[in-house]
Amino acid sequence: MSKPRSELHLILTGVARDPLGLMGLIIVGTIVFCALFASWITPHDPIGMNIQDRLQGPSLTYLLGTDQLGRDTFSRVIAGGQVALKVALPAVFGAMTIGLTLGMIAGYGPKWLDNLLMLFFDTIRSFPTVMFALAVVALVGPSLQTVVLVVMATSIPTYGRVARTQTLTLRNSEFILAERSMGASMARILGVHMLPNIVGVLAVLAAMDIPTVIALEAGLSFLGLGVKPPTPSWGALLKDGYSLIRQTPWLVVGGGLPIILATLGFTFLGESLRDVVDPKLRKQR
Amino acid sequence: MSDSLLEIDRLSVDYETARGDLKALRDITFDVKKGEIVGIVGESGCGKSTLISSILRLTAPNTRFREGEVRFKGQDLLTLPERKMRDLRGADISIVFQDPMQTHNPVLSVGRQMVDIQHRSSASRADKRRRAAQMLGAVGIPDPEARLDQFPHEFSGGMRQRIAIAMALISEPSLLIADEPTTALDATLEVQVIERLRELQQEYNCAILFISHHLGVIAELCDRVVVMYAGAVVESGEVREIFHNPKHPYTRRLIDCDPGHIKERARVLPTIPGEVPDLANLPQGCIFQDRCDQAMPRCAGDVPPLTTLKVGHQAACWLNQMEDPV
Repeated sequence: MSKPRSELHLILTGVARDPLGLMGLIIVGTIVFCALFASWITPHDPIGMNIQDRLQGPSLTYLLGTDQLGRDTFSRVIAGGQVALKVALPAVFGAMTIGLTLGMIAGYGPKWLDNLLMLFFDTIRSFPTVMFALAVVALVGPSLQTVVLVVMATSIPTYGRVARTQTLTLRNSEFILAERSMGASMARILGVHMLPNIVGVLAVLAAMDIPTVIALEAGLSFLGLGVKPPTPSWGALLKDGYSLIRQTPWLVVGGGLPIILATLGFTFLGESLRDVVDPKLRKQR
Repeated sequence: MSDSLLEIDRLSVDYETARGDLKALRDITFDVKKGEIVGIVGESGCGKSTLISSILRLTAPNTRFREGEVRFKGQDLLTLPERKMRDLRGADISIVFQDPMQTHNPVLSVGRQMVDIQHRSSASRADKRRRAAQMLGAVGIPDPEARLDQFPHEFSGGMRQRIAIAMALISEPSLLIADEPTTALDATLEVQVIERLRELQQEYNCAILFISHHLGVIAELCDRVVVMYAGAVVESGEVREIFHNPKHPYTRRLIDCDPGHIKERARVLPTIPGEVPDLANLPQGCIFQDRCDQAMPRCAGDVPPLTTLKVGHQAACWLNQMEDPV
């Protein structure tokens, strides 16, 4: 018999076996790779200006042309990916962790605590995300951290509610009663038995949420409320390109394409993950 | 100290409901001795499940223990602190539930669950795994080492129930509660599980409290039987005695209704007419009087007490207390 394979290995091979999942994995992998090694990949300084070469079309020197200040669009796209992930990953993981904890407390704890937490979730959800973001940015000023915090705060309720519903269903299930009758403590029930049942669902939700967050960051940058100007971001690229679309279409392409690709990649990955994390659907070999 | 492992002493349990107090258990008294198999029979709603959850103290929030004691090794479980109670569960008292399809965590491999259940032991992970495989082998799962890595849905119902039994016995408890462990299985698997239980009982010498509504299984497996009706014990005693010489009309009717006992082909299977009385509004007198074909005026007046007829046989019926028996 082979040694028991790790959970991660099983999940990765499962995703890779699914054509859409493989595509998602490749796209996401490429984005992450580019972001990690951005400073080696970028042929030019993403914020270095060169007024003589402004608004150029694609060439061998400038793969995607240049913007109104002569900055290399390709380098800015690569560096923009770094910014996008810097916002999306901490925001989504932060929201997931907090939402999971609060949701499980709400689902397993006493009724009054559940009501209180639900009230908290509903309060946050009652603000439209973009309006809330606009208000906070207007108050604190635009910066990467602000965007992360805003996105995190607005996504906590989604994770919290899913975690709560899952916990509620599970707490009355027979195997949890069986655990209790075998003398398991509350910590053991929550940590060992409920968590693995919930975390898979939330991971799928997170993978699907990352493109939303990237788009939100791009949207805020497009409105001039995201990361500050010299820092390249996909939204900022779109914003510049939007006003210059009659001179050169390459800025819009450079800003828009990665957003589309990231959305597709993470969605494919999420959908594939959803099938794989459920052991019942996992094909055994 | 007596040789009684579990003593249920005049236990009365109520459920507080909107309609008033539901008297789910009234004056339950019986005991389970060390290494003995005691069966509990009764139709649905007679309080079997309430009894189990009272022993394990895993009751619904609206449960009130009105009276009585549940003594385990001489210690009253109902007044034990929750912490101590938790130490007993799964260590010295274990339980096997009715539906094997629902009692395992679907996302953890069987091996992980069996290792996790030994959380009280200080043995190494590898030792716990070895012990888990050994238990799986003991309940007759072939190739146990390899099957530890499989998930519950990869096993059949009968196998899952045997895994549940393996998990319950892993800590070598002195009392195993089996809550209708064969009801969800088909007849051939039922025999398998029963045989396995008996073998394991002899091997580990644990007492079993076996709940069922199947008289045949009880007769096959148990040393003594307690017949419950509407939250009360109506008859108890040695299996042979109860089956050959039932002293309560309910027991008699129950045996008559068992398809295994019917000799002739019948178009309609016999049933006991009438319904279980409303537990929130108990009638005066004997609880079985409405469905009893031998009811007397006296039955409407007083509740018949559970009296010892001879050694190892008790029944609660006025018929047994008449001057000259019928």
